[in-house]
Amino acid sequence: MNDIGYLSLVIAFGVAAYATLAPILGVKTGREELVRSAENALLALFGLVTLSSAALLYAFVTRDFSVRYVANYSERGLPLAYTISAFYAGQEGSLLFWTLNLTLFGTIVVIQNRRMHRALMPYVISILSAVALFFLTLMVFVTDPFARLPFTPPDGRGLNPLLQNPGMFFHPPTTYLGYVGFTVPFAFAMAALLARQLDDAWIRSTRRWTIFAWFFLGLGNMFGAEWAYGVLGWGGYWGWDPVENASFRPWLTGTAYLHSVMVQEKKDMLKVWNLALIIMTFGLSILGTFLTRSGILSSVHSFGESTLGAFFLAFLAVIILGAFGLLINRLPYLRSENQLDSFISRESSFLFNNLFLVGIAFTVLWGTFFPILSEGVRGVKITVGPPFYNQVVIPIGLALIFITGVCPLIAWRKASMTNLKKNFLQPLVTALVGGALLFIFGVRHLLALLSLALLIFVTATIVLEFYRGTRARHEMAGEGYLRAFFILIARNKRRYGGYIIHLGVLMVILAITGGAYKVEKEATLKKGEEMQINQYVLRYEGLSLYPTQTQQVAAATVTVFNQGKKVGKLTTEKVFHKDEQQPHTRVAIRMTLKEDLYIILAGFDESGTATFRFIINPLMVWMWLGGFVMALGTIIVMWPDKRERRRAARYALGEAPDAV
Amino acid sequence: MSMKKKRTKFIIAPAVVLVALGYLVYAGMRDAMLYYLTVSELKEKVPSIYGQGVRLGGRVVEGSIKWDPIALKLEFIIADEKENTLPVAYKGVVPDTFKGGVDVVVEGKYSPQGVFIANILLAKCPSKYEAKT
Repeated sequence: MNDIGYLSLVIAFGVAAYATLAPILGVKTGREELVRSAENALLALFGLVTLSSAALLYAFVTRDFSVRYVANYSERGLPLAYTISAFYAGQEGSLLFWTLNLTLFGTIVVIQNRRMHRALMPYVISILSAVALFFLTLMVFVTDPFARLPFTPPDGRGLNPLLQNPGMFFHPPTTYLGYVGFTVPFAFAMAALLARQLDDAWIRSTRRWTIFAWFFLGLGNMFGAEWAYGVLGWGGYWGWDPVENASFRPWLTGTAYLHSVMVQEKKDMLKVWNLALIIMTFGLSILGTFLTRSGILSSVHSFGESTLGAFFLAFLAVIILGAFGLLINRLPYLRSENQLDSFISRESSFLFNNLFLVGIAFTVLWGTFFPILSEGVRGVKITVGPPFYNQVVIPIGLALIFITGVCPLIAWRKASMTNLKKNFLQPLVTALVGGALLFIFGVRHLLALLSLALLIFVTATIVLEFYRGTRARHEMAGEGYLRAFFILIARNKRRYGGYIIHLGVLMVILAITGGAYKVEKEATLKKGEEMQINQYVLRYEGLSLYPTQTQQVAAATVTVFNQGKKVGKLTTEKVFHKDEQQPHTRVAIRMTLKEDLYIILAGFDESGTATFRFIINPLMVWMWLGGFVMALGTIIVMWPDKRERRRAARYALGEAPDAV
Repeated sequence: MSMKKKRTKFIIAPAVVLVALGYLVYAGMRDAMLYYLTVSELKEKVPSIYGQGVRLGGRVVEGSIKWDPIALKLEFIIADEKENTLPVAYKGVVPDTFKGGVDVVVEGKYSPQGVFIANILLAKCPSKYEAKT
């Protein structure tokens, strides 16, 4: 099986090389059959990579420890689910996983476009195959997933226990789906440039791909945060670690891109900018993949020794130089007739939305790479930590929330006083009243107060939109309010799905804002002793030590009293794997809509005395709820729409587009 | 308004935003910059480094760890590749991945008493086990 796995990769390498070159040759010589054969080659590529992945999975499931990768990341006792997730736990496997997803997406693109976008497809095929070729080169020549050990060890080294939980089962694949997904819009963008077909066909046809990639990247970040919070057990969810930053950046530029393409669709503006954004997003995705692998930045994630740094850097240079070079070369084709008319307009609010998002992305990039830059320039490594990011990103973030409220409602071209009054007067008053009430009830943290007032403002604009739309349907079509509400969403999936995503983002920001009121306390307690944190009284009930089959567990139980009322017991543990020196701390979390009570067992001695760290994380649960709401909105936005599909099909076949 | 004037106007606004962003980054850097040093580099900077915020990277020397699980006081010796060493004192929750031989990053200040007083301790979390010995 292992030979089949490697052999498939070798053949795939050849096929990918063919699929990269053949379509270009086909265009140059006008031989359509070459393009068709390259499309089929891409399908074959998917088959080969699937076969290779199946072989690796087979090696994992059958515990074939003669394969180095399998021996390094699994062991006999590892449950099946984590044996499967071990597939993408390390470098070689994640490269294979990347390629598998890429060729799957390529296959879907080919099937979707058998009759559409014929002028773009040769280039799309070529670029997708070229990216696959890069990853296959790494696996075939540099770091073979099927490499054998000189002898077969009796058991594998196992998977890090920190990676054995649901969060880590989902975090890598979702993040990768995001990274890989951006390859498709990138390929279409490059194809549009190469074919000089610079209307917005490439944008329209990749809209779902972009949303798909954006969604999964966001989800990946969310799973990562959830894992950091619930499993890593330091009381927070985000540490501005270089690798966290790496997956955050393409999400930011991807978000900017999703918004600014609307300006191109409606107003035929920002063409160059949109191309630049998708190049940046794809570049940052590759950079993200690379950073996770290279270990050039010190991170809690580092995968240790890796030989791939130079390859990724070269690939990244080719992408950035090639893509931007091409973009500059095609500038004459990218003129726009339209111009900005006024600052007080939808166009301009999109522009600021983009500036803020890209501004955050570059701040994060700058902060992450500053140690390397400063070492190169001045010979000293200088680093910036979380205070830097918080100080810079929070003000930009607040401005961004404000724009989130303004952008969807302000008029195109130039907003009149009437337009502004109609859409913003009520939300503004609501926000001011809400802010004043919060102040009276004790919210005195300036940034938190500002953030909350802005959240109220944006929520009010969205609620108002739903209310007006529903009422209009109710009055015109005579539908009941509930029915009118659902039909309103169903008939305008992009718009109202978008609002729902915005609501989800607001919930996430609410949770982040809650961090301003985080309270932390350490306490050493003897059995039966109590301590107080905010309105909670916590009584330590004692430590129980017991062995399980593979572990030694120390469990500390705490009874929680909320405002004098007993609300339950929490248990936090330290687990010692039998043959590991490294303990694993399991935190205890009591979640409510208002706040999380978070308890870490920091240490204990033989007498049963224990030291705890107690944390109150206000509004934390809204982050996860916000994630669900964003997912709901994304599903609505992505849901197939008959009218839209008909329009797109006509458009792609070269007929005149409808007025939108 | 003439076309030219208009264009200038629309260049100025984003430019203002960019300058504001630039200032935020500059101010953030000024307040949050930390030297990122190895033990040898830190020792070269004595005495000017005393009392300055430093991030120090290195390896935990095996057998050097002293841990009081009740007071949460941790003492250990950190070493760099040149085997230059330095005692580190830390108080707080210790990451699970911390143990002898692992790479750590500590953030804090070097005191004239010759001890690095750390307030942040990060241990690398390898995606796989170290070889069992």
